[in-house]
Amino acid sequence: MTVKKAAGEKKTRSLRIMNMHIPYHIVMILWSFISIFPLFFLVINTFKVKKEIYINFFGLPQKWTLENYTSLMGNSDFFGYFRNSFLVVVVSLFMILFVGSLCAYALAHWHTKTSRGVYYFFVIGMMLPIKIATIRLLQIMKALNTLNTLFCLFPVYIAMGLPTAIFILTEFIHGLPRELYEAGYMDGASRFRIWYRIVIPLIRPALATVAIYNLVPIWNDLWFPLIFITKESSKTVLLAVTRLQGQYTTDWPKLLTVLTLSSLPVIALYLAMSQSFIKGLTAGAVKG
Amino acid sequence: MTVKSKRIPALQGGKSIKPGGIYWMRYVIPALLFYVIFMAYPMLDSIRLSLYEGTAGTREFVGFANYVRLFTDEVVSKRFWNAFGNNWIFFAYHMILQNALGILFAAILTNRTMRGRKFYQTLIFIPCTVAVLVTGYLFKIMMNPQWSKAPLESVGLGFLVHSPLGWLGDHGTALSAVSLVSVWQWVGIPTMMFVAAFQSIDDDLLEAASIEGASPWQQFIRIRVPLIIPVIGMVAILTFVANFNAFDVVFAMETPEGAPDYATDLIGTLFYRYGVAGQHPVGIPEPGLGSAISTTIFAMLLCGVIPVLVKTQGKE
Amino acid sequence: MKKLLAIVLALTLLALPTLVLADGELTLGSWRTEDGEAVGALLAKYEELTGVKIVYQPTVSTQYNATLRQQLDGGIGPDLFYSRTYSGGAELCENGFNVYCEEIPGVKENFTATALEGFTDKDGHVFAVPFAAVSHFVYYNKQIFADNGIEVPKTFEEFLAACDKLKAAGITPLANGIAGNWDILECVLCSMVPNYITAEERVAYETGEKKLNDEVWLKIFEDFAKLVPYLPETYASIDEEQADMMFTLGQAAMVIDGSWSYSAVSDGVDVGFFSFPAPEGYAAGFSLHPDFGIAGNAASAHPEEVKAFLTWLASPEGAKIAAEVIPAGFLPLINADVAPEGSIISAMNAEGEGKNADRRFVWNMLALYDTYVSELNAIVRGEQTPAGAADAVNAAWEAELAKK
Repeated sequence: MTVKKAAGEKKTRSLRIMNMHIPYHIVMILWSFISIFPLFFLVINTFKVKKEIYINFFGLPQKWTLENYTSLMGNSDFFGYFRNSFLVVVVSLFMILFVGSLCAYALAHWHTKTSRGVYYFFVIGMMLPIKIATIRLLQIMKALNTLNTLFCLFPVYIAMGLPTAIFILTEFIHGLPRELYEAGYMDGASRFRIWYRIVIPLIRPALATVAIYNLVPIWNDLWFPLIFITKESSKTVLLAVTRLQGQYTTDWPKLLTVLTLSSLPVIALYLAMSQSFIKGLTAGAVKG
Repeated sequence: MTVKSKRIPALQGGKSIKPGGIYWMRYVIPALLFYVIFMAYPMLDSIRLSLYEGTAGTREFVGFANYVRLFTDEVVSKRFWNAFGNNWIFFAYHMILQNALGILFAAILTNRTMRGRKFYQTLIFIPCTVAVLVTGYLFKIMMNPQWSKAPLESVGLGFLVHSPLGWLGDHGTALSAVSLVSVWQWVGIPTMMFVAAFQSIDDDLLEAASIEGASPWQQFIRIRVPLIIPVIGMVAILTFVANFNAFDVVFAMETPEGAPDYATDLIGTLFYRYGVAGQHPVGIPEPGLGSAISTTIFAMLLCGVIPVLVKTQGKE
Repeated sequence: MKKLLAIVLALTLLALPTLVLADGELTLGSWRTEDGEAVGALLAKYEELTGVKIVYQPTVSTQYNATLRQQLDGGIGPDLFYSRTYSGGAELCENGFNVYCEEIPGVKENFTATALEGFTDKDGHVFAVPFAAVSHFVYYNKQIFADNGIEVPKTFEEFLAACDKLKAAGITPLANGIAGNWDILECVLCSMVPNYITAEERVAYETGEKKLNDEVWLKIFEDFAKLVPYLPETYASIDEEQADMMFTLGQAAMVIDGSWSYSAVSDGVDVGFFSFPAPEGYAAGFSLHPDFGIAGNAASAHPEEVKAFLTWLASPEGAKIAAEVIPAGFLPLINADVAPEGSIISAMNAEGEGKNADRRFVWNMLALYDTYVSELNAIVRGEQTPAGAADAVNAAWEAELAKK
């Protein structure tokens, strides 16, 4: 291969790459617009009074109303609700990832019928709606004396998130090349160390995926807090918001405001967790 | 094998090449504990409930009567099959539209040299973070010609309005409208999963292919897609299961009965009416029947999921 | 890793304060989240009088039945709770969750038989102290009526004429729609029925003595069908909340809704109301439906306080205090004059004077609820004739009776 030919190849290839991106951008901009415009309406509607939401849904508020936000900020309870939701989500996610990845590591390497059975045992848990188990769960939580605290929510969400975590993580760990472990064995490291030092960093994208997948359902869950918690100080945001929903009339402006604010922590957690994608990327670039 | 490896004691569980089951069990036990106590046992218990009729004080064992009723009672079976059929349509929208878009966006967003990928990916994800109650309410107003016809017509977008019945009020369009809103909201999740999948493909493979002269499209079809078939299978299963439990979106945009006239009734709402809240206005649930519905769907999901699992996973 | 564990442990510890529980207070469960202030005032008064503190813990209405049941099943229900009427509330009692109220002093004496009927289960136990009833009215915008020279109609024919006049002037006469799937039956049809069928006659329909597609019912469905041209053209997407919104925005002149909606429809509108007028020659009826009572949890940890509160509610003094704070649109059920002078409640009660009062027709035939709603929806959509609807309903009821 002459130098000229190599240079020529490079040039056409880079030209091609540059050209490809415009259509991609067009597609992404189009979809971003579709994704965001309803949320634009959501935000502008939080600055309106209830009647104006209906009569002037699409337009900017004719009369900007900050009352929804000020009444919320003034209500100190709401910081407590956000704190509770945040705690529930972070602790549950951490436990799901920790316990789930340990288990997935084992299942991916332990090749017997038993482990296959355990794997399927977990996987079928994805297919039943956990709502049907509520009465039994209620009795268990009552026996453990955790009702009206956040401790009754953690185990339920952990149990809820484990099937998908094990499903996804076992698959990803399966896909890791063997050579990466050899180095560990050579050095005399225990399996646990290998898990901690090698596997976890490599499956970061999968961990982030599992975390993000469970983040939204746990944050937005209404059912279990509704049944288990009646004490104000233990309520999560979604549960607290139901107080704004009356039998016949709902205070939509306030509700929209709270739930708009409620998505901010979720977006922040998402951004924090998706950072792991990038980190995982470079880790995966390690070659023999 | 070097001399070093011969020094590794065979029975040092964690450090042996092939540790026995006992060793692995300690990794599995914590997960099993949580799962069995807080999920498996309560769920199995409620499957057992499907063999009973009545609520708390009046439970009595009826064997398979609930299942018989589910399939033979005129009203119940009609509702069940209606909801079942609707759910398949709902699933079709998600599989064909949501997941395909997910693959498309993921393919675009894993171009190393493209700018703004993180920005786009976050924007796509944001709708997922908004509570369904809110998005349902917003679209409900937007789709009601009473509120949207005048403003949209004034900017020439009148064709978006399905006047006078409204997208949600017309039997023929209600289910599609609800499905499309759900697809719109959740595209970010499969996108994220496929991005992770694409990113885990070894760059060497793609580099080698492009040196050989493969175009990006060929690389995509011949290399990237086949390599993520396990993930596609996984996303399909997750979508399938999630759709057959879907409830919030119908609840927020229509009513728990799946108005108009059960056109948007899904298994999730059916289960809610029978197993959880009871029919309006009486509000007396039939947990036995509700459990029967869940168990039946569970069995059906198993039949659908296991083949897909076996086909797409377990490739080493 | 260790750092991460430390963070998680710290967070978990942060959650600990929530473990502290309070005791000694009673709880009152309810689906009326709107009434927080009003009921709070009532309970505060009660605390003044007796020193017993009761906390109001409403649950969002759509989840109330489910939540209450799960909690009662699991043994953690509130000490007192709002009870639905008729079979909705009776069933909880039959499962042993309720305190039997026939033993509460004042219950048998201070309430009429019809009031108690809604709170008695099939074994004769009274499962709650009756608290409030609701009615249904045609709310109208006084300004629009005045501008168009319309008087409050006294008969159904006058009502239709008024609607015609409004329609000709380009104003939507009625704001009602069918998207809610319940208000078209409960608020519209059931407020018409007492004009045609008295309480005694209703029983004949329930037993099957009279057919649900006889001339009376044919007339009712036909009169209902006459309302359809006056509904907004977007009826398929309008539920109760949006109908009220249309009304208060001035987009419609009238809305047929329940008495509970008074505060919603009077928001920014000079509103008047009248009960649905009967056709010429028919005896005017009035829709009066017991809506809820307050029940005691049989498994409560404070049985004496529970009984004391229920006794207070069943007494004229307690009911009078309750009537002062009860939201407009809920009519006290106690057989005593407790409504404050000049209140909306007394105005609503006045509407019912001299008329045949009856509850919602379909309430003893709830198996037909679904059928009625579908038929009414179909009539509004133009997919069903009044005769066809009547026949469908009758066939469904005959099938239901055959099962028994």
